[in-house]
Amino acid sequence: MPERASDRLLRMLGMVAYLDRHQGVPVDEIAEQFGVTPRQVLADVDTLWVTGTPGYLPYDLIDFDATAYEQGVVRLTESRGLTRPLRLGGREAVALVAALRAMASALGPLLDDEQARVLRSALAKVTAATGDAAAAVDVQLASTATPQVAAIIAEALAQHRRLRIRYVNTRDEASDREVDPIRLVSEDERTYLLAWCRSADGERLFRVDRVLGAEVLDEPAEDHSVPEAAAVFSPGPEGELVTLHLASPGRWVAETTPAEAVRNLPDGSFEVDLRVVQPAWLRHLLLQAAEDVLDVRPARVAQEVAQVARAALAAYGPGEG
Amino acid sequence: MAAQIDPAERLLNLVIALVNTPGRMTKEQVRRSVAGYADAPTDDAFERMFERDKDTLRELGVPVLTVTDPRHGDDIGYRVDPDAYALPPVQLTAGELGVLALAAQLWQDRSLRTDSSRALTKLRAVGEAPEASDLVAGLAPRVRAGGDAFGPLLDAVQARQAVRFVYRAATTGEVREREVEPWRLLARRGGWVLVGRDRHRSATRSFRLSRIEGTVRPVGEPGSFPPPTPAELDEALATWTAGTERLAALAVLPERAGAARARAVVPDDDTPAPPDLTDVPGVERLLATRDLVHVPYRSTHELAEELVAYGDAVVVLGPPELRAAVLRLLRTAATLGGGGDDA
Repeated sequence: MPERASDRLLRMLGMVAYLDRHQGVPVDEIAEQFGVTPRQVLADVDTLWVTGTPGYLPYDLIDFDATAYEQGVVRLTESRGLTRPLRLGGREAVALVAALRAMASALGPLLDDEQARVLRSALAKVTAATGDAAAAVDVQLASTATPQVAAIIAEALAQHRRLRIRYVNTRDEASDREVDPIRLVSEDERTYLLAWCRSADGERLFRVDRVLGAEVLDEPAEDHSVPEAAAVFSPGPEGELVTLHLASPGRWVAETTPAEAVRNLPDGSFEVDLRVVQPAWLRHLLLQAAEDVLDVRPARVAQEVAQVARAALAAYGPGEG
Repeated sequence: MAAQIDPAERLLNLVIALVNTPGRMTKEQVRRSVAGYADAPTDDAFERMFERDKDTLRELGVPVLTVTDPRHGDDIGYRVDPDAYALPPVQLTAGELGVLALAAQLWQDRSLRTDSSRALTKLRAVGEAPEASDLVAGLAPRVRAGGDAFGPLLDAVQARQAVRFVYRAATTGEVREREVEPWRLLARRGGWVLVGRDRHRSATRSFRLSRIEGTVRPVGEPGSFPPPTPAELDEALATWTAGTERLAALAVLPERAGAARARAVVPDDDTPAPPDLTDVPGVERLLATRDLVHVPYRSTHELAEELVAYGDAVVVLGPPELRAAVLRLLRTAATLGGGGDDA
């Protein structure tokens, strides 16, 4: 998809303001500064070079040092009054400051002193430059249940080292695995470790609150390229199709699980189709939503859940079960 | 036909012209003299092009001022004052830019992503050096998208403008139009929430964005409702703020409930007080075969929902409200599929 004109304009304005502050910057460095390719920087400079005030005679135009440019260095010699960096718009300030605040509270326990200091100073500077607009949005990410474990994972990521983790799955079975960590993904709901699991020989998402212990190993982590989408949990087409008929207050089920289909019914209740790979996950869901469950297809699933619940009640002893 | 000038180049020429004009430029002057506008084949095409470009500049934060001149009657002119759009003085280190780049990736919502990447482009202009990403390597915080309602609601919160939308209430299943004074947007466990005053009920309400159906429309003028008092706001947000930390006492079968055990603490002076177990029925019988595990928590219903997953591996000993919440879930679940005969 071609770049939007507005995005390109914004970058070119930013480049003039930046080059006004830095005399003579190599093309590669500008590319890195603005997160684009060196080829794009050259295209942007070529465009800037022919823009200016009406008349468009040589002294009307934005100008660069041509000798330096031949050697791959961009030196601005005439800015035509575009040296002021643009202030952040209301929504831009909200988007950035709210994100920084959420990060500061969620990542806090994972950061060392230096990282925490940089995060604080970035937040302070941007807040000072934008005012209080960001109060419109308030984000709380999942707090990591065991900060020690998350801190060890963050350390392995920073040092590109392999990890040994003790992990307990949804069936409550614990096992030891060696993994190459790729990313630590903190969401509003919970935090995941995306890693290459050496025993499964593939990428896996591990819920950090199910990592019982972690240890940084001496071996370096191998690089594994994984698609961006790997960090999003989604059930495959395999798995049993289960349909839940739920009363309206159970709407959170449709909102928080990757449902195949949701059908609203005239009486306010609704049906949701789920692909279930792990029966333990579905049992857990139904135990939580039991009050709002009107029907489950296939019926066997509901009977299994009831059995688990009765066994649990029995454990509480007579008078409670 | 000569090659058309790239829209970004035309926009840039417009900014430079309006920044450098001694007084103002009229539309006609723009069309005649600013490179790119001669491409417009008709009057209408020029009008559309110029209006769109003005909107684009304003959206990016370059305010195009309208200037009338008494000597020219109705004739409207335009200019841009660079001081009016300047970022206050700020300089960012490579590490700070790296943190900002990570923050800009937080949003999965498309409009928020656009906004935060624009903010990042602007701030890169005042960065001392390219962003250092190693400081935050491998960390990926993110927040799910708020859906189509999010953008209009955010604008309304910022403009203090009331909104109208159709809402499906989960408690009753009722679908009805609401008129709301929007105060805050919250991202919480399970999604986005709008907190504000429901005008029909004259009371504070929370709305899940996922339950808003159709479009969100502004009502009345910006700034037309008073901001909530701090007390009103605190009360409205209380539901969405984590409670104080408490300790749960659990009787856990050996080697089970590993994830809950991982968070266990030994009660001491630094932890909240453990619940009193003296009157809990069957506690001695249970602890003869099970481990006593203390787990800190803040939300009763969240922990209850987590613990029912362990079935008979975990018995909640206290506090009483947590035990009652788990028992209530289990008793209801025991009746699923026509069961519940022995309850």
